[in-house]
Formats: sequence, structure tokens, C-alpha cells
Amino acid sequence: MLEFDGLVKTYGDNRVLQGVGFTVAPGQMFGFCGSNGAGKTTTMRIAMGLARADAGEVRWRGTALDDASRQRIGYMPEERGLYPKMKVADQLTYFARLHGAGSADADRAVQEWTERLGLADKRGERVEKLSLGNQQRVQLAAALVSGPEVLILDEPFSGLDPVGVDSLADALLERCRAGVPVVFSSHQLDLVERLCDAVGILARGRIVASGTVPELRRREGGRQLRVVVPDAGPGWADGVPGVRVVSEQRGDTVLELDPATDDQAVLAAALRTGRVTHFARREPSLVELFREAVAA
Amino acid sequence: MSAAGQVRLVARREITTRVRDKGFIISSLVIVLLVVGVMIFQLVAGGRTSTTTIGVVGGNPSVETALQQAGEASGTAVTVTELPDEAAARQAVSDGDVDGAVLDPVGDSPQLLVESSGSVDDIVRSAVGALSVGAQLAAQGVDLQPAPNVSVTELDPSDEDDGPAVVVALVGVVVLYGLLILFGQFVAQGVVEEKSSRVVELLLSTMKPWQLLAGKILGLGVLGLAQMVLIAVVGVTGALALGVVSVPGQLIGTVLVVIGWFLVGYAFYASVFAAAASLVSRQEDLGSVLTPTTLLLVVGFFISIQAGQDPGSGLATVTSFVPGLTPLVMPVRMAAGDVPLWQVLLAVAIMAVAIALVVRVGGRVYAGALLRTGGKTKLREALTAERA
Ligand SMILES: Nc1ncnc2c1ncn2[C@@H]1O[C@H](COP(=O)(O)OP(=O)(O)OP(=O)(O)O)[C@@H](O)[C@H]1O
Ligand SMILES: [Mg+2]
Repeated sequence: MLEFDGLVKTYGDNRVLQGVGFTVAPGQMFGFCGSNGAGKTTTMRIAMGLARADAGEVRWRGTALDDASRQRIGYMPEERGLYPKMKVADQLTYFARLHGAGSADADRAVQEWTERLGLADKRGERVEKLSLGNQQRVQLAAALVSGPEVLILDEPFSGLDPVGVDSLADALLERCRAGVPVVFSSHQLDLVERLCDAVGILARGRIVASGTVPELRRREGGRQLRVVVPDAGPGWADGVPGVRVVSEQRGDTVLELDPATDDQAVLAAALRTGRVTHFARREPSLVELFREAVAA
Repeated sequence: MSAAGQVRLVARREITTRVRDKGFIISSLVIVLLVVGVMIFQLVAGGRTSTTTIGVVGGNPSVETALQQAGEASGTAVTVTELPDEAAARQAVSDGDVDGAVLDPVGDSPQLLVESSGSVDDIVRSAVGALSVGAQLAAQGVDLQPAPNVSVTELDPSDEDDGPAVVVALVGVVVLYGLLILFGQFVAQGVVEEKSSRVVELLLSTMKPWQLLAGKILGLGVLGLAQMVLIAVVGVTGALALGVVSVPGQLIGTVLVVIGWFLVGYAFYASVFAAAASLVSRQEDLGSVLTPTTLLLVVGFFISIQAGQDPGSGLATVTSFVPGLTPLVMPVRMAAGDVPLWQVLLAVAIMAVAIALVVRVGGRVYAGALLRTGGKTKLREALTAERA
């Protein structure tokens, strides 16, 4: 288990983290979401020993992270950084070795990951000569080449083209299946929804929502229905008991139902207005859940 | 990977990156060539005997002997050329065939023709004087006996002439100064490169700042030492082969002392340079933070040149105990041979304390400033900043 436990961090008067805690199981992909400035990067930097928490700790397999155990973590910082004048392969070998890989293992891993991330023909190039997206891939490779036990990636997908996104996603899923806990932050919530087993939303210094996406939906409480009634006049659902209108546009209506409300009663009310062309439970997207959680 | 293992990896990266760098290879070659050049210059210009050609119009055979003896007294080998008349003499002087021409050297009014006054004047004057005295004494009927030979007794035969050792030490200090500046710059540029490229965050997620600093300073230090030794080997071999220096023991001793002081100086300056460099995030800002330290080096350099002329001066003695100046001034004083052992040990001890201090404070500055990218960090901020 990778456990973030009660992290508190204050910069001057800015209480950035006020007890952030969540857990990532081996083989779990955890999407770390939050508005700009919510404290995602701060949380990850604390885990990597680059910032010091005022309170709380991050544990891996039950013991607090230290220099030795951090060598077994693959990290991708938000501020990308590589040696501009070093060649791709030399650079990756160096980082693999710094993480404790032997010389032969490092060489092998560099071959493998440059291949997998589409950098095979760039091995001998200086990093500064690569395009931004390719530098990003090298950065990812740097996090992956050491064969880490844990991956902590700060916005790994930003700046990648769709093919790059796919190859990274594949790589992360494969690592995950091999039992590695993966934490990554992202503002691309559709991607998070697609990839992650669990999501944590950080707001106001705390994790305000966490769990699998279906769990978050359930926890949102009210079920939502989308009903399309082309012939109905505006405000047709206002009188239905236990129902709140979320949105209504020329008969295309989203309703939120109290837990006790019977959806068949809503259907009956809809039929009374005339034709019903669509009647279904509506799953809120992660974007909506995020807005809800952050706004509350 | 152990902490020491990581330091080794960092050091190795520094070395391999530099060794593959064209600029580094070229600068190394230039320094070696410079040393060879200095030696050849020494050989050509610094030779003990210079040569002069003097033309003579009239006079007798004793003039040639007198001129040569006068030349010998002032360390000049004189070649005498007979010239037929004044016109030929003027021609020879203005053509540069002779350095000077004497007309009527044994007559009543001898005349010397030269392009411009110089060492020839004295030689001719003392030769003419000697001839005249000899002639007058002979006229008085005095029978001149050859002067007795002076026998020389060496009271302390091992006390060699320190002149060449001081020259070697000065050349050594020039190299030492150059390499301290060069490798100090390398350290500083490396620190800023890691900061400006922000690779430092990735590095510090696997190791502590002190490891990164130690690896960088050790790696470049090994390279600097290798370069110093290479120059020393080329220099000593060359000096012995060309016969610039005649006493190998003394030469090698002085060179070893300079190498020792290079290591001491490097430890000091590299740490200061690294700490100063960590305060800025762009190579362009490097100059402003390095200037004070570079100035200290320059001051030490000029004092050591001065000490080469007057190793016993109060300035040289005092500054050879000032941290930062010691490595430049002390080798020259030591080569001059009048430094008691306790003074050397005291200077080493003072430098050791200074290095310990610089490493401690500099390490804190470095650790505090390293993750503050963008803009310049104030020294106080760096010292109070949270350290990773
Ligand atoms: N070194 C620092 N000194 C002072 N304040 C800081 C420092 N680092 C972060 N902060 C503050 O902490 C807060 C959280 O920043 P952080 O970078 O963790 O947010 P984030 O969730 O990663 O945002 P984004 O999505 O924009 O990357 C911000 O208000 C930021 O100004
Ligand atoms: Mg961030």
C-alpha cells in the first residue's frame, strides 16, 4: 500500500494542505484531480522528499518513505527537467543507475523503454534537439527505466499527442497490472475516468471525494434522469414531487430525484405531456462530479 | 544504491561529460602548449649569457681581449669584428651587423657608435678604461702581474640557488590560478545548468543535495588534478630536456608543492563557487555572484607574482595565511625556501578550517537555493529556506 496520511503543509499564510490522506493499492491506478493551485504538486513533492510536510507522512509498505525507498519510485516532476546537452540514451542510463539499477540492467531497460515510447531512433540525440513532446517522452522514460515499485507522475499526459497518450496509457496500465501502484495528476478528466481505478479530488486542502468513479456517482446521492419530451411546455416537471430540475432545454430535461422518489411516477408525469422520446438514468461524467465536489 | 555509490555516479557523469566536450579538450591542449611555450621563452630569453657583436676601427689586438673580458664581467659574450673605417662602421651599425662600433679605442678620444644606448656602452667603457689604465701603468714602467685567483668556499653546499625554484613556483602558480578559475567555472556552470534545466528536481528525488554537490566537486576535481599532473609532467620533462632547470630534485619538489596547494585551493574555491552559483537560475546571472570570489583569486594571483620578486616581504608573509590567498602565495614563499615548517602547517590548518566552514555554509546555501528556480535567491533566503 502507498499511503498518504494526514499531510499538512503551509506556505506563509497559505494553508495548502490541511490533512490530505488517501491510499493507493498495488496494481491500482489513482487519478489525482484538483483545481489549479489545489496542492497536487505539493503533495507529490512531499512524497518525493522535495518539500517537507508540516505534519503527516507518506508510507510505502507500512514504512515512511526515506531516501533509500524513494530510489524505488519513478517520479515525473511537473517542471520537466533533463540535461539539455546529454544524449537520450546516456541520460536515461544515468537516471536508471541513480535509482540503483546495475549497468547491464540499465542498458537493457533503456533499450526497452525507448522502443516502447517511440524513441528508438532518438537514442543518440541530444535532448535539447528533440521536440517538446519527445522530450516529454524521454521524461517519462526517465521515470520508468529503473523498473520502479511505485510511480508518481505529475501531469504526465500534458503535452502529448494522441498517439503519445495511448503509448503512455498502455505503459502505465501494463505497469499497473504488474502490481505497481500508480498515482498521476491530471486535468484531463476524461482520461482519468477512462484509465483510473480510483480517483481523488483535492479541494480546500483536503481530499473532498475519493473512490472509484461509480462509487463517486453513487455517493453523489441523487439519481439523475434524462427525459426528452418534445411536446411539453417549459416547467412541465416542476409539480412532480421529489424531483429537482437540473436543466431543461426545449423538452430535453435533466432531473434529479430524491432517493425516495419512484422513477415510474416521473415517467407517468412525462407521458401526460405527450410523446416521450427518451427516458433513461443519466450517469454524471467525472467532469460534473468534479465541479460538484470542488464547488461544494 | 548507497549514498557513496550515487556520489560516484555523479562524479563519473561530470568526468565523462567534460572529457567528451570539445571545448574542454581544446582548453586543455592550449594550457599544455602555453607551458611548453613559456619554457621555450625562458630558454631563449632567460639564458644567462647574451651575445653582442662589436665592431672595432683601429686599435691593437689587446682591444679584442679587453672587450671580451669586459663583456664576461657583465655576462655577455662579445664577438669582435675589425672594420676598415668610420663610414664602414656607421654602415654596419645602421645595418644591424654589429651592436656597436668603437672608433680609435686606444687613442685620446675614443668614440662609440650605437643605434641607441644600451649594454654595449658599459662594455666598451670599461674595456677602454682598462686599456687606458694598463697603458698608463706600462708607461710608468709598472710590471703588471696577473691578478690572483679567488678561491670559493661553499659554507652550505646544499643551499641551492632558489632563483630557478621560484621561477618554477611562479609558473606553477600561473597554472594553478588558471585551473582554479577554469574548474571553478565548470562547477558553477554545472550547478546553474542543473537549476536552469530543472533537472535538479529529478536528481534530488533520488539523492540529497550534499551528494550532488560532492559528486560534482569530486568529479571535476579529479579532472582538474589530472590536468594539473599532465601539465606538471609535460613541464618537468620539458624543463629537464631543454635544460631550463638543472636541479631535478628541487624542481620536482616545487611542482609537488604546487599540486598540493592546487588541491587545497580547489576544495575551497569549488565549494564557494558552487554555493554562489546555486543562488541564480540563469548562466547570464552567474557573473554577478561569482565576481567577489574571482576577485579574491585575482588578488591572490597578483600578490604571488609580487612575492616572486620579494618572497620575504611582509605582504607575502601575511597573505600566505589568509584563506583563499594561501594556495597562491604560499607555494612561491616555499620555493624561495625561507618558510619555517610551522608556518606551512599553520597555513594548511587555517585553510582546512576555512574549507570545513565553506563546505558547511556553502552546502546549506546550495541545499536551500537549489529548488528555488526562477530569479535570484538572496543568501539569507537560501540559508533559511526549507531544505529537501
Ligand atoms: N515553494 C512554494 N512557496 C510558496 N507557495 C507555494 C510553493 N509551492 C506551492 N505553493 C503554493 O501552494 C499552492 C498549491 O500549489 P501546487 O503547485 O501544489 O498546486 P497544483 O494542485 O499542483 O496546481 P496545478 O494544477 O496548477 O499544477 C499554490 O497556492 C501555490 O502558490
Ligand atoms: Mg501542479
